[in-house]
Amino acid sequence: MAEIATVCPYCGCGCGLYLHVRDGVVVGSSPSRSHPVAEGRLCLKGWHAHEVVDNPRRLTRPLVRRGAELVEATWEEARSAVVAGLGNTLEAEGPQAIGVLGSARCTNEDNYALVRFARGTLQTPNIDCSLRIQCVPDTSQPGEAWRAGVSTGQIADLDDADLVLLVGSDPTEEHPAVGARIYQGRQRGLRVVAVSTRKHPLAGLADVHLPVRPGGELRLIASLLHVVLAEQGMAGEERPGGEDLRAGVADVSPEVTAADTGVSADLVRQAAGLYLSSQRAVIVYSAGLALSAQSGAAVQALHSLAALGSGGSGRQVSVLSLLCRNNLQGCRDMGVAPDVLPGYASLGDDAAVQRFEQAWQCELARGTGLSAWEMPGRVRAMYVMGDDITRSIPDPEATLSALEALDFLVVQDIFMSPAASVAQVVLPAASFAEQDGTWTNLERRVQRTRRAASPPGEAREDWRIIADVSRAMGKPFPYEGPPQIFEEISDLLPIYAGVFYPPLAVNGGIRWATPEARDAGGPEEARLRPPPAEALAAPGSELRASDQYPLLLAADPTLRPWDGEVMVSQMLTVAGEFTVLIKDYPDGMLCLNPEDAKRFQVRGGRPARVVSPKGECQMQVRVTDEAPPGVALVPHNQATRLGIMEISTDQAGGRPLLAPTPISVGPAE
Amino acid sequence: MTARILPHERIDEFVTRLMQSAEVVAPRRVEVADVFYGPISSPGEVAWDYGTAIEPLKRFLLPQRETMLRFSTNGGIKVEAECDERERVFLGVRCCDVTGVGVMDAMYGGDTPDPYYMSRRERSTIIALTCLQAPDETCFCVCCDAGPFLTKGYDQQWTSLPEGMLVEIGSERGEALARANEDLLAPAELDQIATRYRLAREAEETFGDFKSYIAGAMRKLSMNEVDPEVWEQAAMRCTECGGCTYLCPTCVCFTVTDRMNGSQGVRERHWDACLNNCYAREASGHNPRPERGDRLRARFFHKISHQWAERNGRQACVGCGRCVAGCMAWAHMPAVTEGIRRGVMT
Repeated sequence: MAEIATVCPYCGCGCGLYLHVRDGVVVGSSPSRSHPVAEGRLCLKGWHAHEVVDNPRRLTRPLVRRGAELVEATWEEARSAVVAGLGNTLEAEGPQAIGVLGSARCTNEDNYALVRFARGTLQTPNIDCSLRIQCVPDTSQPGEAWRAGVSTGQIADLDDADLVLLVGSDPTEEHPAVGARIYQGRQRGLRVVAVSTRKHPLAGLADVHLPVRPGGELRLIASLLHVVLAEQGMAGEERPGGEDLRAGVADVSPEVTAADTGVSADLVRQAAGLYLSSQRAVIVYSAGLALSAQSGAAVQALHSLAALGSGGSGRQVSVLSLLCRNNLQGCRDMGVAPDVLPGYASLGDDAAVQRFEQAWQCELARGTGLSAWEMPGRVRAMYVMGDDITRSIPDPEATLSALEALDFLVVQDIFMSPAASVAQVVLPAASFAEQDGTWTNLERRVQRTRRAASPPGEAREDWRIIADVSRAMGKPFPYEGPPQIFEEISDLLPIYAGVFYPPLAVNGGIRWATPEARDAGGPEEARLRPPPAEALAAPGSELRASDQYPLLLAADPTLRPWDGEVMVSQMLTVAGEFTVLIKDYPDGMLCLNPEDAKRFQVRGGRPARVVSPKGECQMQVRVTDEAPPGVALVPHNQATRLGIMEISTDQAGGRPLLAPTPISVGPAE
Repeated sequence: MTARILPHERIDEFVTRLMQSAEVVAPRRVEVADVFYGPISSPGEVAWDYGTAIEPLKRFLLPQRETMLRFSTNGGIKVEAECDERERVFLGVRCCDVTGVGVMDAMYGGDTPDPYYMSRRERSTIIALTCLQAPDETCFCVCCDAGPFLTKGYDQQWTSLPEGMLVEIGSERGEALARANEDLLAPAELDQIATRYRLAREAEETFGDFKSYIAGAMRKLSMNEVDPEVWEQAAMRCTECGGCTYLCPTCVCFTVTDRMNGSQGVRERHWDACLNNCYAREASGHNPRPERGDRLRARFFHKISHQWAERNGRQACVGCGRCVAGCMAWAHMPAVTEGIRRGVMT
């Protein structure tokens, strides 16, 4: 029996995990005690990570569509079909008609190869990952050391912290390794301030819980800034942007914002008081904040709050951006996005473009392409690698129909998915335990994942599948394996400079830093910037209750985030833990406060009729005091298909977001 | 069954001989700093100076995933059981883990023996290695009568003295092993045995403030005197990660799955965790323990109640501290027993 050191393939924490291998088969999982994130712990998913490896439902052979059926084919046949399908679209409509989706669960090497394939071989700028919808739009300026949506600190900062400020994050559900440190930190006096609509377990244990009304997050954070600035000012030193920041939040005292945020001024001042008296704070946010409108401005405000800490007050503050997936950070680093090159180099940066063109031996598509959520209806062909687009973006049915209507769709994955079921070609890929590679976690920690067993049947490593297709299309890649791909990544991406394969074998990998941060010799810090005035304006009347629609319905990304996800629902033993939501609340789990349930005469476990200005639907009721009075919560994964929620377009990032929607609720007939 | 001395310079020879007729499972360093019990391919791999292994012997005696039988339905039904019949020597096992095996024996042996477990167990020789000091700050075997030295439950118990390992014999099997290697051993002197007892007392002193006052909690739990609110509070501090269950030397719950491949199939047993929501959930959707607090109460009742201690011959906690290491929140044995004692969870 051997123990192979690798990384957990689920959330963005990236816990060190050992896979147990007996006679070439992966039979168990254990935590690493020496790992800086895991510290000997794993969540339920991690403990069962081995179950998606040797699994009877794995894709093991290439499949090609013949009429209504997908039939097994050889790699030659499948590859020819892919080349023909993509080639036809290229010829008839041009590269702009092709869309490519990369993966937040595949390795950096896989994603890098895909970007080269898209911008180089196919010459299309339409490359993205659908989970980028959960990423905060980047509001950093060129040359700044920090980037929006990227952590400035690490999870272990919680070990010395005296205060953690959770904003829209439920670590218990989303990021257990972070949650663990908070539960345990409480025992030694760690104070917890939780800003969240839902009273999740840590919010229930918090020193102060600010039950912010959906849509009120930015104003609430701004009111915190207001109080902190009023109490400590610039902490003894004038800072660039300080005056603008002070002016920008002058009008949003907690007394003024209370009506919109739903949080009393007292509570806000209590929370601010805890922050002001802390010496070492960690600010944490996740998809709960990132999927709200104005999340870009909200995160910028959090960074301003953190930056106010240093200087005279001596307070050290780090900001953790809790990305949902094991390699969402790495996938973005590798340039799986329509508007940047690998390493976040600008498409307009001639020197960077030239470096890539030289390495790739071809011109690359320099335009800004379509985002993932724009592709299905606007391209004619797609290449999808390990991406669950029908789960990530609103209206899964419409997305699936659009995918079905494509002239050509090829899906490369480890299990059958909704997209794969309507594809022309399905290619079986190696799982995380069957190939070497690297992933980058939410702390920017680049870690090695290791091959522990052979891919089943004829499944192959993702990067190799792409390289073979590219070669068949006339653009061969020179890579012999992941180490060579990584060498190129390290050469060409300044943020990965100094990150090499050999040191990555040491438990815990290496965290990348921007060149500016390396030069500054310390943690990156945002410049102080005021929230944009128009973003800060009070939410409109559509977010207020009315007689006709007395409740506000919010899609909660932190509620049961893993239910139905492919890598948990295919587990052999604990899949039930992650599908009970679908079984018990098949039309939607409508979480209502007991007061509201009584008021609208609906009972737990029974169906309710829910009406919004946009339409109506039925959902099953769950009565819980996790939902505040006046607000109904439904898991984001179910909300995407209800059809009754307003969809707002995020100003900064163009993302289609489920907006809080006024509703009425009553018993279904 | 007198105690022997195995000089330090002869240990490797002893181990080499063990390896000739059995799979020798011992603590090994993996990736520099993590220690797992695992099969060794050379005596030099044994990490004699280790603290604790990340996991107990359960991974070998009751694997996370094991094949129970294979069947095919092609041309008649054929079923073949698969039993592990490998000889194993578990070497350098901490006393807490040895005690844990004893509890598993009570659960999986006795009147209704589990053939898969017993097939392995009957072919296992257990050589304990005593702790001369508390290996981890999370250890509390002293509160559970499970270490740092044992007086029974092992085949052999080794204690490191300056001149060599003191080899105490605890069973016929242990004696037979000593006899078969008499040329490497010498009879232990009285003063060496006296040293062993002194070392045991000194080791106990090194266990720090981190204790788990099980006895007090045991009483309240067994007499149903625990305020239900304690379980509700504990439930708020548990995330159902399964860590305590999977890491515990005495947790043995399992689930069974069938994997089909055409007309052939394999029936497997996998670890399961009673804290999970769906653990006892029935096909109808009814859940006999729908609240997490109920599940926690059931778990701790099985671990440390008097009623279950009677069944198993002793209480099921061995103080190895792994639930402390593996808990993703604040619901491990010391946390909950303190909550039970105080009537409130912090």
